[in-house]
Amino acid sequence: MEDVLTENPPPSRFFQEDLNNFTPSPEPPLPSPFIVFSNPKPELPLKPSLLIIALSSPSLHIFHSCLPSKTLIGTLIIPELPFSGNTVEPSLQDKSCNIYSLSDNNNKNSVLLVSVQLPVSPERSNLVSRLLIGQDIVPERVIILDSIQSRNFRGRLSPDEALTAKLETSSEKKAAATSRLNLDYFPSGSVIDGLSASLLSRCQLKNIRGTLVVSWPEFDPSVVRFVGGLLKSIVPGLDIKSVGKDLEMYSSRSGLKKDAWLDSDLYT
Amino acid sequence: MEFVVEEGKLVHEECSTLILPALSIGNVGQLAVDLLVSSTAAERVGYLDDLNLLPCVGNDAYGPLPCGDIALPLEVYESSSTATTLAQQRSPVAKGMMIKFAENIAEFAASNGKKDVIVLASLDFQRLHNLDLSRGPQVYYLSNTESDGRDDHCERLGFGRLGEYDPEGRCWKYLSSVFDKNNKEELSFPSEDELEDIDYYPSLPFAALFSAFKARGLKVTCLLCYCSEGDNIPDAFLLAEAASKLTGLTPDKFHGEEGGKWRIPYSWKSMYGAPPDMSMF
Repeated sequence: MEDVLTENPPPSRFFQEDLNNFTPSPEPPLPSPFIVFSNPKPELPLKPSLLIIALSSPSLHIFHSCLPSKTLIGTLIIPELPFSGNTVEPSLQDKSCNIYSLSDNNNKNSVLLVSVQLPVSPERSNLVSRLLIGQDIVPERVIILDSIQSRNFRGRLSPDEALTAKLETSSEKKAAATSRLNLDYFPSGSVIDGLSASLLSRCQLKNIRGTLVVSWPEFDPSVVRFVGGLLKSIVPGLDIKSVGKDLEMYSSRSGLKKDAWLDSDLYT
Repeated sequence: MEFVVEEGKLVHEECSTLILPALSIGNVGQLAVDLLVSSTAAERVGYLDDLNLLPCVGNDAYGPLPCGDIALPLEVYESSSTATTLAQQRSPVAKGMMIKFAENIAEFAASNGKKDVIVLASLDFQRLHNLDLSRGPQVYYLSNTESDGRDDHCERLGFGRLGEYDPEGRCWKYLSSVFDKNNKEELSFPSEDELEDIDYYPSLPFAALFSAFKARGLKVTCLLCYCSEGDNIPDAFLLAEAASKLTGLTPDKFHGEEGGKWRIPYSWKSMYGAPPDMSMF
């Protein structure tokens, strides 16, 4: 049982330092994140018709295990996060943020995938989202895949009942109904924070079609199937290997833990 | 900080009064702005994009039914019938960046024709030294009309002047100096270890906003109430009512439920989480 004296307050309440003008800012200031593109360097900015960003464990699993035809074209570097433990070939266990292209013969970078496998702090999220949307990459449409954060959800979440919901930008709402994702809206009163929130906000500010899809529970075969079906509906020509294969092995051991940024780097 | 006008919306110059919350105990300022936006049927006209604000998104907070309109961390609403602009802040400022944030939002207000600013915030009840229950819940104020924080209009409305305001105090002077571009005096940043009890008030976000707006030559009034963490809805009503009195809003300007003044925002229905599971009984 958690100690009520030391346990973190619920997110709607503040720490003392949140309400103190004289809390010092982090010193020294951190260098900005940046994207490194592979050789040959593409012509920037990239203008994909679709940018899909995976943050949730089910979506990361699909990206790595079920999309063989993707090409690594770049990686986003957050300077304060170490590479130790990463493998030469991209792996689901790496702490990395790789950018892939799903190319077709007509348009080399028409669909880009971003696999966010590292912990981006809320303070750094805005800088990262600017890089991915509006700077080196200017997409026509964005789909973000994340998990529902139970600490910010005001309804009831059952560990054995899957739930999916969406939030979308004004541009997406105005688009043809047949092109939009057929999901219930995320309920009012609950919020989503962190990188996925920053990405969707960026889409709204830039008047880009954007949808954030959140799912629950974080590690569940039914959610993996749902994400696979969703990706197939968005990009019909997508070569998704059988999503159902080996799903019973899918568990927290194979997925990325949500609070990975709390993990010690001592053991890599 | 960039002000992004929503597509298809117009900004009305006559909305020269700006009401905004300061982060404070119990989120009272934010709840009060929620009430004012909902009850005046203010329309969202744009967003404020600031790197120092932590990200968050949600579904439409006001209703009457949430229709999937996305809510962002810092939004600007206008109520042209009341000539009021309301800014609602939904997420905290990044650690250590409150002063920069205050400077940015003061810049937005000054460069967008705002003349009067009202900051809504709450104070920790444990800091209240002279408790007088005979007059009921008390609203306090701090204004830049007079150098000691006093304002005749607020006095006539029955608000209590914040007696702890000391413009010559170390931290208040530091805040004044940091926002005043003409100030040549170099004052040192107060370290957390040096702060004493008297430094509580100037250490709060409302003080940074007050000093920032004051430095830009805007008329600024902070409306404050003491509270504890808990059910802060009554405190929100107290501050919202005070703000409506200060700005001279008459009841006909409101669109409350069943002919009343206030309309409860839809998002408040789940403020304290889901109801208990009745199947256990």
